[in-house]
Amino acid sequence: MIKTSTQNELIQYVYNELADDAREQLEVALMHDNELAEGCSDLLLIHHLLDGATRSPGDRAINNILNYSKSLSLQS
Amino acid sequence: MNTTTQLSDSALVSLYIAGNENAFEQLVNRHKNKVFTTILLIVKDTYIAEDLMQDAFIKAIHTMKSGRYNEEGKFSSWICRIAHNLAIDFFRKEKRSPMITLEDGSNVFNTLAFAADSAESLQIQEDTFARLRELIQTLPQSQREVLMMRHYADMSFQEIADATGVSINTALGRMRYALINLRKKMLKSNIAYDKNFYTE
Repeated sequence: MIKTSTQNELIQYVYNELADDAREQLEVALMHDNELAEGCSDLLLIHHLLDGATRSPGDRAINNILNYSKSLSLQS
Repeated sequence: MNTTTQLSDSALVSLYIAGNENAFEQLVNRHKNKVFTTILLIVKDTYIAEDLMQDAFIKAIHTMKSGRYNEEGKFSSWICRIAHNLAIDFFRKEKRSPMITLEDGSNVFNTLAFAADSAESLQIQEDTFARLRELIQTLPQSQREVLMMRHYADMSFQEIADATGVSINTALGRMRYALINLRKKMLKSNIAYDKNFYTE
C-alpha cells in the first residue's frame, strides 16, 4: 500500500514540481518498489495522453488576434 | 530565422510592450493550444471557444499595452486564467451550467492534428483523444477543475490551492483522483491504452 504522502509526491514528480532532494529520494524508491513504479508509470502515461488531447484553434482566429494587435500598434 | 523563438515568455512580453509584434506572435503561437483547450473543455463548442480565445488575447493585449501587466506571475497561467474566467462568464450570461454532460463528440471534437502516420493509427489516436476529452467532462467538478488548472492552464499546485481555497495536499489529492479516475474510465471504455503506441 502506497502512503498518501508518497502518492502526492508522485503527482508532483509527474508535473515536475518536486524539490531536487525529494525527487532524488523518490527516484531511488522507484527503483526498489514495483508498486510505486507501476503507479508512476500509469500517471506518466495519462499525463502524456492529456497532452495529446490538446486541441488547436483555426488559423483565422489566430490571424484575427495578430491583426488586431498590429492595428493597435499602427494607431499609436 | 526568427530570433524570438528561444526567448522566455517574460522576455517576449517585454519586447511586445516595446512594440515588437513578432514577439507577440511567438507568445500567441506558444500558448494558443492550451488557451483554446482550456476554453473548449468548458464551452464544448469550437466556434464559441475560438471567439472567447480571441477575447482572451485581446484582453491580454490591452493589459500589456497599457502597462498594467504584472510580471510576477507566469504568462501562461495568466492568459489561461483570463480564458477560464471568460468561459465561465459566458455560461453565466447564457444562464447555463458549466457542468458538462457526455456527448457523442461528432462535431466538436473531431479535427485533431497529428504527426504523419498511418491513416488507421491516426484514426485510433483521434478517437482516443476525443474520448479522453469526453471522459474529462465526466469527472467530479473539483477534480476536473484541478486537472484543467494544472494541465492546461499551467498553474502550480500551490497556485491552484490558493485560487480554490484548499490546502496543497487537497489539490494534489484531487489531481491524483482525477488521473486515477481517468485511467479507470479509459480501461472501462476499452480505450486503446498501450504505452508503446503513444511513445513519441
